[in-house]
Amino acid sequence: MRIQEIRNMFPALSASVYGRPLVYLDNAATSQRLDGVVKKMDDLALWTNANIHRAVHKLAADATEEYESTRDAVRDFIGAESREEIVFTSGTTDSINLAAFSLGETFVGEGDEIIVTEEEHHSNIVPWQMLCLRKGATLKVLGVDDDGHLKIGDLESLITDRTRLVAVAHISNVLGIVNPVKEIVSICHSKGCPVLIDGAQGIVHETVDVRDLDCDFYALSGHKIYAATGTGVLYGKKKWLDRMVPYQGGGEMISTVSFSGTTYAPLPGKFEAGTRNINAIPTLKPALEFLKLLRDKELQEEITGVRDYLGSALQQLGKVRLFGVPRGTETKIPLFSFTVDGAHHEDLALILDKMGIAVRSGQMCAEPLMDRYGVTGMTRVSLAPYNTLEEAEYFVNSLGKAISMLI
Amino acid sequence: MSTLEEAKKAVVEEFSMYDEWLDKYEYLIELGKNLEPYPEEDKTEDKLIKGCQSRVWLDSRFEDGKIFFKADSDAIITKGIISLLIGVYSGRTPEEIAGDDFGFINEIGLKENLSPTRANGLVSMIEKIKELAKEKSAADVLTAEDAKALAPLYDNVVLALKQVYDPEIPVNVYDLGLIYELIINKKHEAFIKMTFTAPTCPMADEVLSEVKKSVSDVPGITACEVELTFDPPWDQSMLSDEARIDLGMD
Repeated sequence: MRIQEIRNMFPALSASVYGRPLVYLDNAATSQRLDGVVKKMDDLALWTNANIHRAVHKLAADATEEYESTRDAVRDFIGAESREEIVFTSGTTDSINLAAFSLGETFVGEGDEIIVTEEEHHSNIVPWQMLCLRKGATLKVLGVDDDGHLKIGDLESLITDRTRLVAVAHISNVLGIVNPVKEIVSICHSKGCPVLIDGAQGIVHETVDVRDLDCDFYALSGHKIYAATGTGVLYGKKKWLDRMVPYQGGGEMISTVSFSGTTYAPLPGKFEAGTRNINAIPTLKPALEFLKLLRDKELQEEITGVRDYLGSALQQLGKVRLFGVPRGTETKIPLFSFTVDGAHHEDLALILDKMGIAVRSGQMCAEPLMDRYGVTGMTRVSLAPYNTLEEAEYFVNSLGKAISMLI
Repeated sequence: MSTLEEAKKAVVEEFSMYDEWLDKYEYLIELGKNLEPYPEEDKTEDKLIKGCQSRVWLDSRFEDGKIFFKADSDAIITKGIISLLIGVYSGRTPEEIAGDDFGFINEIGLKENLSPTRANGLVSMIEKIKELAKEKSAADVLTAEDAKALAPLYDNVVLALKQVYDPEIPVNVYDLGLIYELIINKKHEAFIKMTFTAPTCPMADEVLSEVKKSVSDVPGITACEVELTFDPPWDQSMLSDEARIDLGMD
């Protein structure tokens, strides 16, 4: 399979902006929609639109089947032990908020600690900060070194008997280096501490097997893996989910309700109050099938070629400072964040935009990491399997032009 | 000096020469590079307008009835647009600026750089320019006679404010310290900036309109504008001594 074949599955990629062909290189923010995903959304909205689980009529049965079979597909894809461990959310942010609330209300008290890392996205910082504020707990931070590696060596001593959870990104949305999450989990577990992995980027680029990782929670978004926006998953080990209090109250999440008290539904319903995004969640099915398709060896080689070209071309452009430099056997995803001496990230992005190229600029929802590197922002280019070598070359040339306009 | 309208027209004409976006940017970059240097020591926190992407510093001075701006940004295209804005608006009277809709920015196709839905320091800069102009036009230069006429009005407006009570606390909005700013200009128009004890006050709209009505009813006041702000947030230190006694706090 070739990149061009993948490209044909994404209608948006044939678009033009400002009279130039669109070159979409902001995939770490959100990917474009797969044609099968768009069709699934359409079909659901038009022909299978009924509320799930309760009603006995045909449409409701079909809609329920679509939704619940998606749970099986996700369970299968990430290797969870049971379908009850798959909670549907609106995205990674929602998943982490759910975990932070329910875990926090159940297990975190005054004087306890939560550990996050310096390279986290705001969504894996702020929910924990809010939890700490509510409970009088402390947020501790595992640092990142100059090249963008987590200081794993510091982790063990950072964990104390008051540490209730370690929350860490599988892959930072700025640095793009695959973190040794399995090792992190093993260190944390040896100290009796559970781990949540922010898999917003991880699920896109890595083969995730939650049982192999042995992580306690894994949060992911649908919209970065070509599925509909407003879809996401929180995987949680049953032993935790069972004991955690619900996040939101409402319909679906209850077993019996009376004014003297309510009993909650069993998993995963306990965490799925109200009408979920039922017309969108099932788009995870075609999206996951697509991810399997991408495992094709020939395709992977071509994609790696584009990544390697881009990485070295950026290094060869003068004045460019790259963040997140892999070493040894580490994997770097096709994502490059950089600054250019004398050229502001906003200016670069504005000029590239007018050349038809979509890149991200700014703090990328990781202000602490920007502070860590002493920059006000960066420019980020992030590739998907549909980005061709020609696009990468066009980007590098355009970046060169933009820099010469500015300096 | 050309009039405000002439200055705006000149910019629009200048821009109409460039069809290509990149040429427009080249022009803005040139303007940005030639912008009058902004003193490093004036890049202070109070002059900083923080956006998601670029930072903008804005400083102003008031001289001979006119407002003069100087500004800077760490991003060069933004700096170019700043240069345009300063060229058009610096040295104008507060009334001229306050009365302008800044619509010419859209005419030169920079709307997307200035869309308020994007967190952009430039949008905040325009807001700040408008705000400064509004404050100045409200404050105005007063003669001794003006001041004499205004003094009793201030007293009466304060009395009027003391008639408006917070719906939840038995203390009036003035003694509660909810009034952050009270300005009465030469035309005897009153401008009030106020807050609430909490941003979630369910009665907010009613209290605001009551303040407006109560002040407008003061004999001699020709109009009243009330602006709500939560910056800084209210806290108990803003209570007046009377309020502390009323609430039994001392």
